Amino acid sequence: MLIPNTTDRDTGGFFAAAAEGRLVYRACDDCGAALHPPTACCPHCGGENTSWHDAQGTGTLHSWTTIHQSVHPEYTAPYTLVLVTLDDTPEVRLMGRIDGEPELEPGMTMQVWFETVADGVVLPQWRPA
Amino acid sequence: MIDDDIAFAGRDRCAVAGIGQTEFSRDSGRSVLSLAVEASRKALADAGLDVSDVDGIVRCEQDTVTPYSLAAALGASNLAYWADTGPGGVAPCMMMGLAMGAVLSGQAKTVLAFRSLNGRSEARLGSGDQRTAGQRVGGFGTYDEFYLPYGLISAGQTFALMARRHMIEYGTTAEHMGAVALACRAAANRTPHAQMGSRAMTMDDYLASRMISSPLRLFDYCLESDGACAVVITSAERARDLPRHPVLIRAVAGGAPPDLRPGMMFPVTTREDMTDLGGRRAADALWRRAGVGPSEVDIAQLYDCFTVSVILQLEAFGFCGRGEGGPFVASGAIRHDGSLPINTGGGHLSEGYVHGMNHIVQAVRQLRGEADMQIPDAELCLCTGGPLPVGSSVLFRRA
Repeated sequence: MLIPNTTDRDTGGFFAAAAEGRLVYRACDDCGAALHPPTACCPHCGGENTSWHDAQGTGTLHSWTTIHQSVHPEYTAPYTLVLVTLDDTPEVRLMGRIDGEPELEPGMTMQVWFETVADGVVLPQWRPA
Repeated sequence: MIDDDIAFAGRDRCAVAGIGQTEFSRDSGRSVLSLAVEASRKALADAGLDVSDVDGIVRCEQDTVTPYSLAAALGASNLAYWADTGPGGVAPCMMMGLAMGAVLSGQAKTVLAFRSLNGRSEARLGSGDQRTAGQRVGGFGTYDEFYLPYGLISAGQTFALMARRHMIEYGTTAEHMGAVALACRAAANRTPHAQMGSRAMTMDDYLASRMISSPLRLFDYCLESDGACAVVITSAERARDLPRHPVLIRAVAGGAPPDLRPGMMFPVTTREDMTDLGGRRAADALWRRAGVGPSEVDIAQLYDCFTVSVILQLEAFGFCGRGEGGPFVASGAIRHDGSLPINTGGGHLSEGYVHGMNHIVQAVRQLRGEADMQIPDAELCLCTGGPLPVGSSVLFRRA
């Protein structure tokens, strides 16, 4: 596994919440815009006050690819990368990985789950609901 | 004609006076610096200039050869201007802009633009991030922490996600992407130095090629290559006194997509519309600055890291409507006898992948009338730069 940097000043809150089993996104306190990938400043209103908000943890499948040829020794083909748009915050689209070649349909409902990948390091993952 | 952009002072005022390239191969057996020297010396000889004339060098930020190393290895002791641009394959078109800016502002008179890589034998671009297990990845503004740990490693996997989305939204098919691969291969078959010059491809061959990252197959991928290209840019006025027929830089333009997200390649997948490209904004500026529109372009060298990137750029640059790229390429329009021949040396898919720079060299050959697969009476040739996360473009004109 490649382990994510969980202490980045702009994105660390995402992984801190995941370690507690929560899916969160960063949003602007001034105009309410969701900011993903997370930033500490808002490109929509110029605001510099942001905070993390809980997402409900369901989404729709936007796109996917099944990897048939491994390009990194830690990630063995076949596996499938999924892109999921959050139902309650469509500005946020997140990645997940499913082993093998699952049967998938565009727009299908996806459910978050949490995968522990190292001590205290958790990735939100997605599977068909 | 579209209204002139009076803020753009560079139209037709600079020219490519010389071009040079090395062999394109799977293993050059040489350093990238020696490849860069060979391509640069050839470009200077082609331009009828001496190494002592070089006072500017521009490069791609991903090149491991710096302008200073190249100047040192060439003996170009009059170096007075240098600059890096990028990212990646976006660089070559932006290099034309940097060179133009240097010449028109008086910072340099003779600018070398180059790209040199051992992209097959040393640093395979298709391998993506190869850090070892357990290592922390991402952070520091890269946003890779949202992608690499999941196994999204390479550019091919990213473009596969874009290709799938284009198929979902517009009904684009494998045969559409195959039409791009076949057009590039047919051009390579008429270009002796192209790496796939002697290997024909049919649609059956394309469809039978193995799936790498669905929906992209082996033949949707460009050729990781060793090689270098260089071009010499100077003022149009000076170029007229040099031996080769000058090819004018009509206009250059870069552009960012309306929903630009931070980070490099992977966050493209978070855009609301991830098959819309920065090239659309680049195109708006390019046509305005050039005073012509896409219907007046004779040839296009479209950045073909993957087949799908050609389809997306045909839409972005206005050669067809949104979602119509698949039927457009299937119509035969992009073949040598079509309305818009593309990648007339075989492109990255079948000539070699010199990260956009071989497209610049091929454009110049066409407008000089000396290409292997020459398109008759070509006057305007478009080149585009790597489509993520921003786009770039240059329009060349026969003087």
